Amino acid sequence: MKIKSQQDWWAGWMFVAFGVFFILFALGTPEFIDRIVGTKLIGGYQMGSSVRMGPAYFPVVLGGMLAALGLIVLLDSIVEEGPEVATFHFRPLIFIAISSLAFAYLLKPLGLVLASIVLIFISAYGGHEFKWKEVAIMSVVLAVFSVLVFVKGLALPFPVCPDFIEVCPIR
Amino acid sequence: MEGIFGNLAIGFIEVFKLQPVTMWGMTLQHVPFNILMCLIGCLLGTLIGVLPGIGPVATIAMLLPVTFNLSPIAALIMLAGIYYGAQYGGSTTAILVNIPGESSSVVTCLDGYQMARQGRAGPALATAAIGSFFAGCVSTLVVAMFAPPLAEVALKFGPAEYFSLMVLGLVAAVVLAHGSIIKAIAMVILGLLLGLVGTDVNSGVLRFAFGISELADGIGFVTVAMGMFGICEIIANLEQKEHREIFTSSVGKLMPSKEDWKRMWKPILRGTFLGSALGILPGGGALLASFGAYTLEKKVSKYSHEFGKGAIEGVAAPESANNAGAQTSFIPLLTLGIPSNAVMALMIGAMMIQGIAPGPQVMTERPQLFWGMIASMWVGNLMLVILNLPMIGMWIKLLTVPYRYLYPSILLFMAIGVFSISNQPFDCFLMACFGLLGYVCVKLGCEPAPMILGFILGPLMEENLRRAMLLSRGDPWVFISPSKPISMGFLIAAVALLAIIAAPALRKKREEVFVEET
Amino acid sequence: MLRLLLLAALAAGPTLATAQVWPSKPLRLVAPYAAGGPIDISARLLAAKLQDSLGQPVVVENRPGAGGNIGVDLIAKGPADGYSLVMSAIATLAINPSLYPSLPYDPLKDLRHVTLLVQVPNVLIVTNDLPAKNVKELIALAKQRPGKLDFGSGSNGSTGHLAGEMFKMMTGTYMVHIPYKGSAPALADMMAGRIHLMFDNLASALPSIRSEKVRALATTTLKRSSFLPELPTLDEAGLKGFDMTTWWGVSVAAKTPQPVVDRLSAEILKAMDAPDFKDRLRNMGSEAPAIRTPDQFASFVASELKTYTELVKRSGAKAD
Repeated sequence: MKIKSQQDWWAGWMFVAFGVFFILFALGTPEFIDRIVGTKLIGGYQMGSSVRMGPAYFPVVLGGMLAALGLIVLLDSIVEEGPEVATFHFRPLIFIAISSLAFAYLLKPLGLVLASIVLIFISAYGGHEFKWKEVAIMSVVLAVFSVLVFVKGLALPFPVCPDFIEVCPIR
Repeated sequence: MEGIFGNLAIGFIEVFKLQPVTMWGMTLQHVPFNILMCLIGCLLGTLIGVLPGIGPVATIAMLLPVTFNLSPIAALIMLAGIYYGAQYGGSTTAILVNIPGESSSVVTCLDGYQMARQGRAGPALATAAIGSFFAGCVSTLVVAMFAPPLAEVALKFGPAEYFSLMVLGLVAAVVLAHGSIIKAIAMVILGLLLGLVGTDVNSGVLRFAFGISELADGIGFVTVAMGMFGICEIIANLEQKEHREIFTSSVGKLMPSKEDWKRMWKPILRGTFLGSALGILPGGGALLASFGAYTLEKKVSKYSHEFGKGAIEGVAAPESANNAGAQTSFIPLLTLGIPSNAVMALMIGAMMIQGIAPGPQVMTERPQLFWGMIASMWVGNLMLVILNLPMIGMWIKLLTVPYRYLYPSILLFMAIGVFSISNQPFDCFLMACFGLLGYVCVKLGCEPAPMILGFILGPLMEENLRRAMLLSRGDPWVFISPSKPISMGFLIAAVALLAIIAAPALRKKREEVFVEET
Repeated sequence: MLRLLLLAALAAGPTLATAQVWPSKPLRLVAPYAAGGPIDISARLLAAKLQDSLGQPVVVENRPGAGGNIGVDLIAKGPADGYSLVMSAIATLAINPSLYPSLPYDPLKDLRHVTLLVQVPNVLIVTNDLPAKNVKELIALAKQRPGKLDFGSGSNGSTGHLAGEMFKMMTGTYMVHIPYKGSAPALADMMAGRIHLMFDNLASALPSIRSEKVRALATTTLKRSSFLPELPTLDEAGLKGFDMTTWWGVSVAAKTPQPVVDRLSAEILKAMDAPDFKDRLRNMGSEAPAIRTPDQFASFVASELKTYTELVKRSGAKAD
């Protein structure tokens, strides 16, 4: 069995995985698995009837449809030619993700100015070229701009100064 | 007809009224205060529309205390200006950086961004502005003339009708995709499922939250949109091996060409009509309008193969539709006192604080307020198009900035915008997750646009389905019963649309079979 | 030596700050809901007023989620220095403890309740086509058609829902509950006649009542509402003791020093007594609450908690 379309192959598995995931968490683990494990592994919601649908009804039906479509896509991947999956470039992915996470989790402790600078540096590092002076200037400019527009202009409740500075000159 | 003109006259007089204004100790006589408020609203609205993540709801809420010191008409004019200003601004980010500012700009991303990448950002932005202006004018006229009867029509839409409309909408969402139909349907369903995360309206049960309390109210649209459209796009752009600029440096003309004009006027008309019609439905009308218009254009246009790659119809139609929808969504508010969306709910709040009870009596008891608002919609749209058209030159200049400066800035604004939703880091974490998901999907040839439409419509569809079943005490035939012609009509249309979509694919398969046999 | 002293001073900085005159830095007022709702709006009104009288900025922060629990928990577990306030409401203090399987905070032990800001009655409204002109006729109708009448509410576990359950229990009738996302869509369906009745809060129902799109039968408080003085109360109409309002106010963390609480209470009451603020709250349907001091508020919360714990249990309403 040769995989004729790599994209479809993995897409199919992704859909099946999501479908099964939602069905599993909507219905909960079946009795016999709970008995083996000892406790209720995953609790579910009520199915209800088709007449009086419970919270699990829609997710199970949709999950089933999704898994079924995933199987069709899998079938397609064996039968029809399709494109390959282009290589994953992890560097931009990781740096962009980390920069936004860093920003979010550092905003309260470090304040808007420092958190913005951190984000700019990390995300710039994930790009093709990284020149220290350029990035430094850009980060300061953007940090100041953000404070002016978002905190002063739109009055968003963001801390501007880091936590360890007791009274912030800018508010 | 004289009644209308008389009323409009009242409105315009109110808008252009000259008043004495006291500020900073000085009193200026003869200040056109209401116009000034309109301008401020439009400017502010455009600004927050352009900034990803920050929407009109949060801004209007923050400005409510300011409105206490204004007269009711000035306050409402300004707030309304923010609302449709944000629609204009949201199209700008959709076209320039593939980030939908509002849920109704998702569709504009599809072709608008492609046009920008081909150096046609100018015509794209101009088309959006012109289409929005035209639609705004026409739909304001609709509001002025037909508000009460249209409100009655809106009332006829119960859960069954909404459900059927959404089924139709979801089928239309499949049309949006230009790749494999099966994968598009799968993406729609995935979006539907993700939309179900959170508290279930009908039972109160918390679904798929895994004990994370931040998920109790579900995943926000902004988070998903920023992740799947914004972050994903940045990552995709950064991974190009050759250091190629994302936007071609040959930036091209600012204005649409003669050919563009010829191609855009019919989509604008159709979009306006669809938007005006669907905007009156409380809850989701304007969104359905924009991508309904896109779907319609894709099906009737002779350039349908260009859709998804930068067809100007793909910008003109949804932009007109969403602006028309934005204006007509005032109808339930002004006639029944019922808000169609979160912004309208805030307007009600603003009115109540001023001591005005929203409802049908506003039209008769306070004609200056009612007609003044309507007149201000025109003035606002005019201001916005005058503001936005010259700004196109500035936006285009912005695109020539090397991408290595652009993307960190975009990322910063997105992070700030997403964080400000509930002032917690969790939403940024979710955004990063959706960025990853979007990246994976693109690699696997699955499109994010159908998913996001499923995401928005999913919970609405389920809510209405279950409510309709509750009300009918479990009778599943309620959706196609002759007593509900609207619902039946939508479902028939959905089936028909499905057939139209499936037919070419089936025909292709049959041709292949034929070819193999000969 | 000097450096050591300096370090010590820096370390003692935070504690010194609170020992200084309160407030010496900006305050945070958490509104545990998304921007735009009535609680959020009143929070912003209050913040604007407090800013003037306290001389420090009061920043409203939206922390939506879990029916308000997340925001309240944030303040309950946060520093008790008087700089973090939260808008607490009947939902987060009295209803959610029994509605949700587990609540991360204890509404009586973890919080200090400062001032009750708003009390809004609910109104029993019916659709115009319903052949019931008063409460008695409605009860008779409900008894004639058990399970045929639909009553709407803004969400599962909302005061509208629980009021309906209370009504059902006290009258011995059976009506079907139809939850909506917010009262606006429920009102729309009621105007169209798709649902039959609803216990909506006064502010949101008043425009529809005045424009005669729906018919009001009674209010849910013991006293008649000054907005609709001709409307009888449910208590008068035969449901003795029926008294439900939607209320909300300001709370702080439990260990907040007493002088801070007193000063806060005084300032908020001052703001509430200001004529323009009073007017704006009135426009939202609120009558000035009779409960003024933190102690009165605290005992009010305790009694509401008891009432609703029982009601939720008996009605079987649940959130997960």
